[in-house]
Formats: sequence, structure tokens, C-alpha cells
Amino acid sequence: MPMSDMPKYGMPSGALPMLILRVLQSGSLHGYAIGQRIHMLSSEILGVEEGLLYPTLQKMLMKGWVTAEWGISETSRKVRFYRLTAQGRKHLKAELSQYDRVTQAIQDILRTA
Amino acid sequence: MGELFRRIQYLFNRRRLDAELESDMEFHREMAARAGRRNFGNTLRMREQARETWGWTWLDRLGQDLRYGLRILARSPGFTLTAVLVLAIGIGVNVAAFSLFDMVALKPMPVRDPDSIVRLERRSHDAYTSEMPYASLKFYEQHAKTLAAVMGVLGVPPMQVDEDVQPASASFVTPNYFTELGTPAPYGRMIDPARDASASAAPVVVLSYGFWERRFGSDPSVIGRTIHLNKKPATIVGVTPLAFASLGGQRPDVWIPIAQQPYFVDGSSVLTDPSNSAVRMWGRLAPGVKAKVAEQELRGLTNELRKQHPKDIWDDEYLQSSPGGHLQVMQPAMYQVAAMVSVLTLLILAVACANLGGLLLAKAVTRQHEMEIRVAIGAGRWRLFRQLCTESLLLAVLGAWAGLALGCVVLEVALRQLDAPKWLSATPDWRVLIFTGGVTLFAAMFFGLAPAIQIARQKHRRTTARQILVGAQVAGSCALLIVAGLLVRAAQHALFTDPGFGYEQLLSIDSQLGQHGYKPAAAKAYLDQMQSRLAAAPGVLSVSLVRLPPLGHAVSYANQEIGGHQVLVYPNWVDPGFFRTMGIPLLMGRTFYQGEKHAVIVGQSFARQQWPGQNPVGQLIGDGPQKDMVVGVVGDARVNALNEDDAVEQYWPAQLDDMPGMVVMVRTAGAPGALSPVAKSISESLDPKLFPEMRQIRLLYRDQVVVIEQIASAVSVIGLVAVLLAGVGIIGLVSFTVSQRTKEIAIRIALGAKPAAVLSSVLRQYWWPVAIGLVAGASGAAAASRILRRALYGVSNLDPIGYSGAIAVLILIVALAALLPARRALRLDLAKTLRYE
Repeated sequence: MPMSDMPKYGMPSGALPMLILRVLQSGSLHGYAIGQRIHMLSSEILGVEEGLLYPTLQKMLMKGWVTAEWGISETSRKVRFYRLTAQGRKHLKAELSQYDRVTQAIQDILRTA
Repeated sequence: MGELFRRIQYLFNRRRLDAELESDMEFHREMAARAGRRNFGNTLRMREQARETWGWTWLDRLGQDLRYGLRILARSPGFTLTAVLVLAIGIGVNVAAFSLFDMVALKPMPVRDPDSIVRLERRSHDAYTSEMPYASLKFYEQHAKTLAAVMGVLGVPPMQVDEDVQPASASFVTPNYFTELGTPAPYGRMIDPARDASASAAPVVVLSYGFWERRFGSDPSVIGRTIHLNKKPATIVGVTPLAFASLGGQRPDVWIPIAQQPYFVDGSSVLTDPSNSAVRMWGRLAPGVKAKVAEQELRGLTNELRKQHPKDIWDDEYLQSSPGGHLQVMQPAMYQVAAMVSVLTLLILAVACANLGGLLLAKAVTRQHEMEIRVAIGAGRWRLFRQLCTESLLLAVLGAWAGLALGCVVLEVALRQLDAPKWLSATPDWRVLIFTGGVTLFAAMFFGLAPAIQIARQKHRRTTARQILVGAQVAGSCALLIVAGLLVRAAQHALFTDPGFGYEQLLSIDSQLGQHGYKPAAAKAYLDQMQSRLAAAPGVLSVSLVRLPPLGHAVSYANQEIGGHQVLVYPNWVDPGFFRTMGIPLLMGRTFYQGEKHAVIVGQSFARQQWPGQNPVGQLIGDGPQKDMVVGVVGDARVNALNEDDAVEQYWPAQLDDMPGMVVMVRTAGAPGALSPVAKSISESLDPKLFPEMRQIRLLYRDQVVVIEQIASAVSVIGLVAVLLAGVGIIGLVSFTVSQRTKEIAIRIALGAKPAAVLSSVLRQYWWPVAIGLVAGASGAAAASRILRRALYGVSNLDPIGYSGAIAVLILIVALAALLPARRALRLDLAKTLRYE
């Protein structure tokens, strides 16, 4: 699947932290897996560039939304797994409800206008 | 909060976290490769981007800049050393000056709760005295609720110790003096309110550490020994600590409880007479009370006191408080002097900075290549600018360290020289350190900014910056030299100019009759006897009486407006023979008759200002219905105002009531010191209870002049340093100009230009800056030196000799500094230069 790895669309700005938080909700993942999961779950529409993923993860570590701990990858390599913190969970909830309200509003306009 | 904490954690674990980030990306790349993707991108760049979210990139860059700056400085040690030295002088002078101010006015004394101590002085809208009657002090002590304690000090003339030739200085203090200050006793005990408050207590004295060392050879067994002060026995009970901090910086040899004053000074009424202002007063504010609130309460008490003693309290008198917990209670005039000094020291800093700015500009040319390379590989202007500023700051910090050390050494030497109180030390405190930091930053901005902007903008050929720097240096050193010149002139003037009276062979004999309870008639009898017996002594030319002797302990003056400008009128009360004894010439009219009333003799300047073009003799003076008539005019004599240019004198005939306060003046044919034993034995036979204070006016005069001489030499040294700095700076800039224009000069010479033309072409760009600098410096000095007038001993602050001398010296040095390197232009090896270029 050489070509399918390539993102078809860029990531909407500001959405990445929310998506990362969401995919981490079901358990901790390493960086590469986070990218893969987002790519997969978006039915291979959204791709995550490494150049954006790692700075975003650093920012989220700094904010305290995620923590990193050592684990062993599926290729039995020592690698850092990112895990959601309580603070991150709270932030995700807030983000989601905010997002819902905004999309709802946009939808309303698109439907009625 | 948590985020900040994490950020700081990231700062300390940067290395480990960077390695972890690298491992993350490495893994990502491995996985991507398995998935068949190869184009991961630039890992280094990505890592850098990720790291930027930590927010510490600026620190890394600063580290880089610092390391690079250090390398640059280390590579040219000659330049670095010069720059640090120049800065050290500029900063050091300021640090020393500020430390001194800090010591005098800011540093709290090492006593108990220094912040709550206030100095209290009598003031009204037109009168001021530093001392108050003891009775008033007691009244305030009893009634003031805003003061937790009141302390008083009564200074007296030196007292005779046993049979010593050299008298010892003494202060009488309220018994709570040492307990309030929390002074521990290294030997014996201090004066104690529980034991020494009453006049009937056994007489005790406390020795100062210095006196104990000098007089008693630091012998601890003196405690309990009896000594005689003015022939009265008293027991030594203790010694003050070496580093004792006294109120107002007083340092007498012996301390005595004030209740004992009548015991030591026979017949004294100082403690009971409500009109005798003799005690200096300090208070300790009650806990939580502000000085202004205390002043308010004391104002009410003063009004009450006025009802009791309407004669002795001025009409709108109040007590003014000033912070008393420092070495010196600052008066407004002192702040003026401080401002003046700080202007001078900042000028030195400005000269030093301008100098260094010039050096940096010249150095920039040699770094042109380096800057071009850095720009070529992608450094932005802002990055270059920051790099250059970092270098300047680095230089400034090095200079500040050296300056701080220099300042402290200078101060330490000064403290030793001046025999300052032992609790003062030259070690910088936090105020001095903050000041040093501020000055350093200021200096770095001043000398670093202009060159940094120029270099970062890559414009080296502009001469404006160099011209401004030369102008600033010339202006600064010009002002400094002029002030130094004025002070040198003042010292000369004070040394070699007649103050209007012959001070060389004068002796003043103050028997303190009033303090010993003499009534006017008794005082007159004593003084008459004293005068006639002194007059009969061999070597005595003339004897007379005066109330305020030259360089005495007290002066009195009044501000008066004459013909639209303020003059200071110094009144005095004298007997008819005074002018002859003092050697003051009688210019018109006559001197007083014996016992004359309602007559006045005025100084020449007063007569000229008050009655221009008229005959002053016969004019009337006075506000009341009873006027006094001018009977004579004498030469100006600064008897009580040696360094006051605007002083004028008025003399009144001393009346019988004045007698207890009169001082005997004696003019001798030989050295006045030889007369002291004679006068002493006369006084002894007249009244053995008296111990007259004898002072040789010549020595007092010398003491005064020595101070101004010291100041003049200090300022001269500073001025010369500034001029030398400016000279070095100009040498540097001119050599730089010559080296830049070598080719052009060589071609000119090859084509047959005359040496003068070549020189002028090199130096032309500096003519205007030097001229403008001179004018600016001279006018700056003229404006600033108005504050100096009092210190100038009658030399005008616009004294043409001082100005022209300073400007001539400056021009000479500037010309030398410019011509020395410029001459190189004439000695160029033409063939070599032209081939090389």
C-alpha cells in the first residue's frame, strides 16, 4: 500500500490535538501508531505529517494533556507511548462539545440558507 | 502553573528529552520504511521545530552568542583589556560615588530598629536651629505619645582630662542613649537609665574605643578607675564598641550622662534655662507611627510650649523630622551637592562609553568580512544585531566587575584616609550591586547600540557616528576639566587670598561664661580683667571682644533682599577694638565709642549695595521705630562666611547683656600658640572653675582649606583621567581614519600635495565635532557649576581663568591626539602602499 499512506487531504488547522486526544482515549499509543490510527479511522482521507505530529505532541506534553512513558513496540523496540491524562480527558470533552456546537451551527446555516 | 513547572523541568532535562524525541522520530522512520515510505524529511529540522514548543530556544541562542562573544574577545586581548579598563574607570567612579552616598544617606546604622529613629529640629518659615533647650526636650519627652523615646546630646567644649595637655572632646547624653541604640558594652557597662538618670547619682563616664586605646593603652582594668574631667572626679564605667554607630556620626572621646552636666560645668544653667538651645534631639517613633503623624502631634505640643515660654518659642515654630537612622541627616543643600557629583561622575561614564563606542566602530571595519560571511550563510540583521549586543553586554559585565572592584578599593582607601566610623565598610551592599547593574546596562546600551546598529546595517563608511562620538567625548571631558579648573582656582583663592582679616596671628579664647552661669556684670568684670592682663602680656599686640569669633561653633545670618537680589547678612556683636585686632581696615567714619548704643558699622559691600553712590555714614538701619545709625564702614571680611560669595557684614556694639557670650580675640606678634599657657594661667587665677577653649584661627583656617584642596585634587584627577580617555579615543579614531584612507592619501602625496593639505584632509571631519563639543561642554559646566558657588570660596563659577585654562589644556591634548596618528599619513611608503592597494 505504498501510495495509500500518502495523505489525500491536509489536516484542518487546530484539529490535530483533538484527534490525537480522541484516538488516545482507547489506550496509549506510540507516535507512529497515532498517525496510523488517525489515517485509518478517517478512511484514509486524513494524513498526519511527521513535521506536524511531533511538535503537536510536544505541545500537548507541555500542556499536560498527555504523558509519555517507555514501552515495547510491536517490532519489540523500546519506544515512548503517549497516554491520556485526566486533564487531557477533560480538555477533550470540552473540545468535543465546543466542536459539536460549532458544526451544528454551520450545518444549520448550510441547510437553511 | 503546572505548565510553567513542566517548562522548567524541560529546561533542566533538555538533553535527555531531546534524545527521547530523537528516538521517537527514529522509530517513526523505521516503521514508515517498513510501510514502504522513504521520504521522511529533515529529522534535524523537525526536531528543532518540536523543541521550539518547549520555549527555550532563546536560551540556546543566547548561549551560542555568549560562547561566540567570549571567543571574539579572547581573540583580541589587547582590545578587550583596553575596553574593560576604560569601562572599569567609567563604572568604578560611579560605583564609588554611589557607595559613598549609600553609606552617608541610605545605609541603616547597625543599631536597634534604625528606621524608627528620627532627627528633630526646630524650624519656622525663616529660622532654623539644629539644637533646642533641654527643658523643651523634656517637655516633648513627657507629652509626646507618638514618640516611644526621646534622646538628646549636648556637645560641650573639650574637657581637660587629669593633667593632660591635650583636652578630650565630650558629649553629655540622655541616659537612654545607649539602651535605645542597643549598644553592647565590650568592657564594663554603658550609661544606664536605671542608674545614671539622676543628678545625685555617682558621676560616671564611658570612654570611646579610640580614646581608650590612645589614652589608656587598651587597658581593660581602667573600668572602675577614677579620672578627673575639668578637675572633677568621675568613675570610668565602660568602653563603647570599636564599631559603635552614634546618632549623627558624633564621635566624642568621652560620654557622660546629661544629668551630671551641672556637676562638671560649674554654675551651668543649660538644663534649666528654657532659652538656651543647646541639645540635639532625636526621637524613636512609637510602633506603627509615621513621622508625619508624629510631626503633627509635636506641632500641637510646640504651641503649648509657646504658651508657657512665649519669648523662647518662635511664632510659627515646629519640629521638623528627618530620618535619623543613617550616618548623616541629609539637608536639602546636601542633595544638591550629591546631584552635582552624580552629574560629574555620569559625565565620566559618558566619556568612557563614547570612547569605547569609537573603539568598537573602528573594530567593526576589521570584522566587515566576518559579517559578510554570516549574512551570506543566512544570518538575519536582527540575529547579527543581537550577537553584537551580546558582545557589548559581555564587555560591560567584565567592565562592571572590574569597576566594582576599583570602586570598592578607592572607597576603602578613602575610608581609611578620612578616619571614618568603623562600622562603615567599603563592601558593596545590595543597593550598590543594583546600582552597578543599572549603570552597566545603561553603559552597554550607550556604547554598544550605535555601533551595533551600524554594523548590522552594514554601513561602515558613514562618518556621522564617529563625529558624534568625538563630540560627546570632547564635551564631557571639557565640562569635567572646567569644574576641576574652577575648584583648583578656588583652592588657590582660599590659600592665597586675604579673607579680609589677618588670620595668621589670632587666638580666640572662649571662656564659656554663659554656660557657667555668669551674669552680665560678673562676665564684664571677668572679661575686663582678662583683657587688661592679656594686653600686658609680652608679644600681645591687641585684645578685643566678639560674640561670633571667626570659624567658631556658631554662625548667624539673615536673608535680606537688597536692590532686587538676595544677600546673606552676617551680623556680629563686637567691642570698639575689634577691627584693629582683626586687622579689618576702617574705610569711612569711625569705630564705636565705649558703651555706645543704636550705632552700627557695615561692611563695604553692604554699604555699596544698600546705598549705591551715597554716603553710607549717617544712614539708618532697622525695622522698628528705634533705628540704628551707620557710624562707619569697614573692609569686607568673611569672618563667619569664608566660602560665601554673597555675604555682607553688619557689626553692632556689644552691650552689657551680651557679655556672658563674648569671646576674647588676641592678636600676637609671634606665634599665637605660645600665648595659650599665659591665657590659661590668667583664667585659672580669675576663676579656677573655667576651662577656656583656645583656638588658633590660622589652624582652623588651614583645616577648612585642606578640605577644598582635597576635593579639588580629586576632581582634577578625575578630570585628567577623562581627558586622557578622550585623548586615547581620538588617537584611535584618527589612526583609523588614516588607515582607511591610506590609498587616497598616498595618491595625493604622489601627485605632490603639501603635508598641511594632507593633514587637514584627514582631520577635517573632526573640526566641527570638537568645536561643538567644546561649546556644549563649557555651557554645561557653566549651568552645573552654579550649585558649586558655595564651595568656590569667592571664585565666580564663570571665572574666565578657570574656563580658558581648562579649554586650553583640552585643545592641546586633542591636537596632540589627532596629530600623532595623522603624521603617519605623511610618512607612508608610497611605492609599497600603491602597489599593495
